[in-house]
This record gives sequence, structure tokens and C-alpha cells, in this order.
Amino acid sequence: MREIFPIIKRILLYIFLTGATILMSFPLFWMISSSLKTLEETNSAGIIWFPKAPTLAAYISIFQNEAFLRSYFNTVFYTTLSLVGTLISIAVVAYAFSRIEWPGRELVFFLMLSTMLIPPQALIVPQYVFFNKLKWVGTFNPIIIPGFFAGGAAMVFLLRQSMSQIPKELDESAFVDGANHIQIFWEVVMPLIKAPLATVATFLFVGLWNSLLAPLMYLQTVDLYTLPVYVSTLYNINLTVQQWPTIMTAAVLTTVPLMVVFFFAQRFILEGVVVSGLKG
Amino acid sequence: MRENPYLYALVTAVAAIIFIVLSSYGVGLLARFFAKLTGATRRKQENTFAGYLFASPWIVGFLIFVIVPMGFSLYWSFTDYRVISNQPANWVGFDNYTQLILKDSGFRASIINTLYLTAIGLPLQMAVALFLAVMLSQNMRGERIFRMAFYLPVILGFNTAVLLAWRLMLNTGTGIINQMIRAAIQAFPPLGYVNRAIIFAQELASAFFLGLSNGKFTLLTKVWEAGFPAANRVPLWVQSPLWSKMSVVLLMIWGCGAMMLIFLAGLKNIPKELHEAAEVDGANSWKRFWKISFPLLTPYIFYNLIVGMINALQIFEPIYVLYRDNQPLIPSAMSMVYYLWQASFSHFEIGYGSAISWVIFIIILIVTVIQFKMQDRWVHYDLY
Repeated sequence: MREIFPIIKRILLYIFLTGATILMSFPLFWMISSSLKTLEETNSAGIIWFPKAPTLAAYISIFQNEAFLRSYFNTVFYTTLSLVGTLISIAVVAYAFSRIEWPGRELVFFLMLSTMLIPPQALIVPQYVFFNKLKWVGTFNPIIIPGFFAGGAAMVFLLRQSMSQIPKELDESAFVDGANHIQIFWEVVMPLIKAPLATVATFLFVGLWNSLLAPLMYLQTVDLYTLPVYVSTLYNINLTVQQWPTIMTAAVLTTVPLMVVFFFAQRFILEGVVVSGLKG
Repeated sequence: MRENPYLYALVTAVAAIIFIVLSSYGVGLLARFFAKLTGATRRKQENTFAGYLFASPWIVGFLIFVIVPMGFSLYWSFTDYRVISNQPANWVGFDNYTQLILKDSGFRASIINTLYLTAIGLPLQMAVALFLAVMLSQNMRGERIFRMAFYLPVILGFNTAVLLAWRLMLNTGTGIINQMIRAAIQAFPPLGYVNRAIIFAQELASAFFLGLSNGKFTLLTKVWEAGFPAANRVPLWVQSPLWSKMSVVLLMIWGCGAMMLIFLAGLKNIPKELHEAAEVDGANSWKRFWKISFPLLTPYIFYNLIVGMINALQIFEPIYVLYRDNQPLIPSAMSMVYYLWQASFSHFEIGYGSAISWVIFIIILIVTVIQFKMQDRWVHYDLY
């Protein structure tokens, strides 16, 4: 009797966890299933788990929707450009905070960490006025360029932690060989922190791909819309009937890159969450 | 060049890089000059130069995108500046702030709504995260798959696309969530009482918060007098002012995976010997959790609380996607940041918007400072 009890407990635990997993993934399932339904099926009064005759009509029509394709391209374009610039500048700054001894380092580092307390939204109003003066409103610049200045204190912190763990002897021997900081940064340190760089890149990618507020403020014409902004216009409260199959098709296509990245980078992400959170 | 937005962005990006390199070089030279003045050794001068050179992208960005904007917004918050009119800003003193805090019912409603998300949503979110973490911490096979499944919602999180999927699921009549509730009650009628009790409690709480925001508690007495909900009632998710915030709470709970990972790491850090010793002494697992795991987890709870609170106070996307343009519902759902966005960018009142940002900033700061002050009372670091 005493041996059976823990086994039952274990089985119950698995049933519970599987149930929780199904619940957590349900919105995804529903999104995909609804994208394959007809309009009537999405508004049906009974539960339709799977459409009886799955239709790709919504997919075919969305691939002919120029505004959607354009917003897809815009998102890829702005995400790529911003990601590369942000990642490199973050690594450069993290190098300064971990591999070089300079007066004022601790103070500047403290200042950087304290910016994490400033809600980004507190800055959107004056930044908008600034970008308006630069005539950058209505261009991609305001959502790309600020990242180039090592945007994201938490990410700098994460990379600094990994860089500090590299033995100092490596740079010193490189110094003796006549290398300068730029060479050490690029040829010695960067290759050794590939995994943390992947973590940071993934977090940045997710943040950029999902970003709504800044693109909403600055990209004021349909031509420039990114996916989150464009997809949000598909749902229009003033219509009596929402085109749910179309909206869900757009939703599936928007989330595919996120899921692909998550699938390949989950090891980095799952570790990164804990590292960035707990060493702080 | 401006006609092609992509080319324009690329050219500006190159220009920005050149600007960053040059300004960093300038800052580095300046730092070396000061090091030389103080009579530092040659090696130290070089290190000062390199340090400031490498740190400058952040320093320069901090000045351009944080310090200067904050200074301007502080100044504008005392003026009636509007970005579209070409008139210069007029100094109005504390008018914006008194208007905002004393008279602006919309802003007060947004604060109360955000408070609801923080006071009701956040504890629920943390409780679910902790519960899942405890379940996962028992050396489960396939832990990795479960962790992935629980974390995926954080990645998809507040993407518009996913929020719209929730919008579809939350439809009152045909939405899958209410259909499942109805089906579950039909299959097992006693669940109906659970459903009705939850609806009653939720509507009372919600009506109380709505009463706080407009100063009249008529809705609360109405809900109370209507009494226990009828048998055929279902939640009115994105349809009723009493439920608009609860829908957002549901989204918060769905995205509890990041907190769960933190809790899981905390649970795994607890020495096994402690549990084994307590087991020998005859403590059951419920008791062991509250007497051993929970006190040792308090630093992790504190961390999640701070981060969760800052996130809850800054919620924007779900409100925008679910309730934008929904006139009867938006006052019951809008968050502080949504209100800021509305004031600044649909009416372009920069002076007033700046005052709102400063009030939000100060609220977040006060809440965070209070949390840090209170931590001595309940967070146990000494156990590590």
C-alpha cells in the first residue's frame, strides 16, 4: 500500500501538468484552427474544435493582400537592422564594464542600472517631440536608431556578467602580442560569449517583433506599418461581423517567426531568464 | 532619398554609427585629457581612454534619449505646449498637475484600473506561477517540455496577433471559453455553483473598483441587490465594464511563465537535506512547503513582485487591442499608459502629456521604494 501511494501521486501530477500545458497552448491551437475555418464556423454557437472541411481560403487571400505583405517585410527589415545595431552596441558597452578598468566605471554602471526603474513610457512624449523636430516622424528611424545606443540596461548587464567570467590572462597575453582593445573585443571576447549573445539576441528579437507602442506612434502611414500595428487594424470594433478567419491567418503568420526562434533558442531563453533575473 | 523609406533608414543608420563612433572617440579623448591633468600613469591614461570609448555609446544615448528628454518634459509639464500649434509654450505653473490629480476623472479611472490589475491580477499571476513551479520541481520527467510550454506565452505575450486570438476566444456568446464553461457545467452540474460564485465575487470586486474611480457606488449596490447570479450566467469578458479588466488579468495569468522559471530556480536552490530532515521529523509536504520552501523563496517572490509590479503598472497593449475605440468600455479598462498615449497622441497635448508621464513615473518610483523598504519585514536573505 505504501508503495502505491507515491505512484498515484505521480500520475496525478502528470495529468495535472499535461492539463496545464494544454490550457497554456490552447490559444495557439485555437488561432490555427480558426484560421482554417469559414466565417460561419468561427461565429458558430457550438464548439467546433477542428473545421469539418479545412479551407486555405484565408491564407490564399492574405498572400494577395499587399498591405499585409508589406507590413511583414517592414517588420523583418526594422527588426533585423535594429537587432544588429543594438546587439553590437550592447556588447561594446558590456566590454567596457567588464574588461577595462577606468575611473568612474562603477558610477556609470550604477547609473545605467538605475535607468531600469524609469518606465519607457515616461519618455515617449518628449522623445516624440524630439523626433518630430528631426523630421523623423513617419520614418523608420525613431524605432531603429535609439537601439544603436546600447538600448536595454538589463541586456548590457547580462552580457557583462558573462564577459566578467572570461579569465583576464587571455587579454593580457593578447596585449603582449600587441593587440589593442578593439581586436581583443572582436577576436578574443566575442567568440567566447556566443551563447549569452544568442540569449540577448533572442530577447531583443522578441521585443522588437512584438513592439506596438513605438511603431504605432511613429509609423503613421499604412506603407510603413509593422505587423502588430497592421494586424491591430484588421479588428475593427465598428464592423458588425469581424473577419475572424482572415484575422487569425494574419495572427498565425505573425507568430510563426516567434515560434521558430523560440524552438531553436529555448535553451538560451530558459537559462537567460533565470540568469538575468537572479544575479541582479 | 526620403521617398524610399528603407534606403532612408539604412542611410540614417550609417550616419548614426558614424556619429556614435566620432562622439565616443571625442568622449574618450576628453577622458584621457582629464586623466593626464590628474597626473595618471600612461597605462591608466590609456585605460581611461578605452573605457570611455567603449562605454560612450551608452553614455551618449543616455544623454540624448533620457536626460535631455526628461529635462524637457519636466519643463513642458508646467506649460500648455501643444505640438501641432506653432505657438510658443506658455508657463502655466502647477495647473496641469492640479487639473490632473484633482479634476481629471479619466486619469483617476485609469489609476484605479491599473490598481485593480496590480492588486488582483498580480497576486493571481504570482500564485499560479508558484503553483506551477512547485508542481514542476518534483523531479519530473519531461520537465523541459513543460517549462517550454509554460514559457511560450511569455514570448508570444502581448503581440497584437495573439491578443486578437484572445479577443476571439473571449466572445461572450460564441467564444470558446464561455462555450467550454457551459459544456463543463452541463456535464457536471455542481460546477455551475462554482461558476456563479466566482462570477459574483468578481463582479463585486470589479464594481467596488469602478465605484472608487467615479466616487459613486451605485453599481456595487446594484450587483449586491441582484444577488447570486442566475444559473445560466457566464462571464461577460470583453463586453461588460464589470469584466473588461478581468480579461486582462486572464492574459496576465496566461503569461506567468517567466515568474514560474524564477520560482523554479529558487526551489531547486533549496538544499535537499532540509526537506529530508523535516520528513524524518514527520512533517507532511504541506507543512514542509510553508515552513521550509516558502521562507527560502521570499527573495525570489520579492524579485517577481518588483518586476511584476513594474510590468503591471505599464500595461498598454492588451487595452489598446481589446478596447480601443470601444467607447462604453474604455473608461472601465484603460490603464495609466493608455491614458497617457490617448492624451498625448490623439490630442497632441504635450504639456499635459508630460505631466501625466511624470505622475506615472513618480507612482512607479514610490511603489518600488515602498517595496524595497518593506522587504526587511518578510524577505529572508540570511538563510543563504
